[in-house]
Amino acid sequence: MASSGSGYDLSPTTFSPDGRIFQVEYASKAVASSGTSVGLKVSNGVVLVTEKLLNSKMLVPGSSRRLHGLDRHAGCSVTGLVSDGRQLVNRGRSEASNYLDTYGIRSPPSVLCDRLASFAHYFTLHGALRPFGATTMVAAYDEDVEEYTLTMIEPSGQAYRYFGCAAGKGRQGAKTEIEKLNLQGMDCSEGLDK
Amino acid sequence: MSRDSNYDHHISIFSPNGRLYQVEYAFKAAASASGLTSVACRGSDTCAMVTQKKVPERLIDPSSVSNVYTIIPSIGCLMTGHSPDCKALVSRMRYEANDFQYKYGYPIPVGSLAQRIADIAQVNTQKASFRPLACTAMLVSVDDEKGPSLYKVDPAGHFLPFKATASGAKEQEATNYFEKKVGDLSGYNADETVRCAIMCLGSVLGSDFRGSEIEVCTVEKGGKFKKLSEEETERHLNDIAEMDA
Repeated sequence: MASSGSGYDLSPTTFSPDGRIFQVEYASKAVASSGTSVGLKVSNGVVLVTEKLLNSKMLVPGSSRRLHGLDRHAGCSVTGLVSDGRQLVNRGRSEASNYLDTYGIRSPPSVLCDRLASFAHYFTLHGALRPFGATTMVAAYDEDVEEYTLTMIEPSGQAYRYFGCAAGKGRQGAKTEIEKLNLQGMDCSEGLDK
Repeated sequence: MSRDSNYDHHISIFSPNGRLYQVEYAFKAAASASGLTSVACRGSDTCAMVTQKKVPERLIDPSSVSNVYTIIPSIGCLMTGHSPDCKALVSRMRYEANDFQYKYGYPIPVGSLAQRIADIAQVNTQKASFRPLACTAMLVSVDDEKGPSLYKVDPAGHFLPFKATASGAKEQEATNYFEKKVGDLSGYNADETVRCAIMCLGSVLGSDFRGSEIEVCTVEKGGKFKKLSEEETERHLNDIAEMDA
């Protein structure tokens, strides 16, 4: 079995003999070796925390942001290749803005996340493109049902809603800690402390 | 097969013995990517589909995990395979169905939708720049002219109408189960059709279910495609348990 690639990992349009798409899996590895991000859905909102790695004392703190706003009711954090993440953020912003222009109301979280996930997925289909090496966690508010949602969109285009999620180097440890918490019983400030 | 050009394994061109390896690998991906099995059958006036529901992690919101999609109110589909590919195909199906309605003024018959999606899937097997989508779609509807209809569309672009079918990890065992029941299926009413599908999945996976571990969806004559709630699923599971007891 060609489990280490060996020729089947050169393009997102190639399946391996056991039905895997290696390019997408490698993109996830790029995310897994970057700084950690954590998202928590608590009783009155969503908390997104991300680790900022300042490689040099010369860097101006506050530059190279990893948390971005997509619209007034939605924001996201980027884990992985920051430049790839910027493409996703820009797309998210334009989707949100187009929705507002077309329909007159702010995009519901499910629509925004589905569109962003489809966008990321498209890059896993075409031979001339490569998947994004970034995971985005989108925190958004739905004004109709008055609910907050946290969705994680992975390089494969897979998007699920989470109660708590983590990505990056420390995700295993973070996930274990999150499972121990009682998220429904917290509010945002407690969530931030945790 | 250590032939010189291994490109026949990498893109969708013919190998020297006439096979399309990439398409075959796509089938493997569709069957094993999610590890789930789905079954579907049609009765006298109802079609039922059942699939396993596995939430990959404890922290995921279970209401966001679903393989059942409504295309138009009268047509539903159950997707098996790589979940982003499934969603992409569903988007395309919804677009095609609504485009048909816009052009011709009436809802698309499920057979025509299946044919259109199959044709689109086939194009991916002939283009070097695109890969086949690793997902199998099972479409159901109660057609005005043909009655309950069940179609399966696979990554290669095959589509066929079925009396009962399965896809996913335990496809073969489920199909064998249905082959024994196919004679009775056309006489089943709505409840019996649903139960037959649930019992097939149960016998293939060798376990009993709780309502939260499977997704059941049906379409009945004159009705819309709907997904059963957990309570309705539990009711069917209890009736099955009483039947066996």
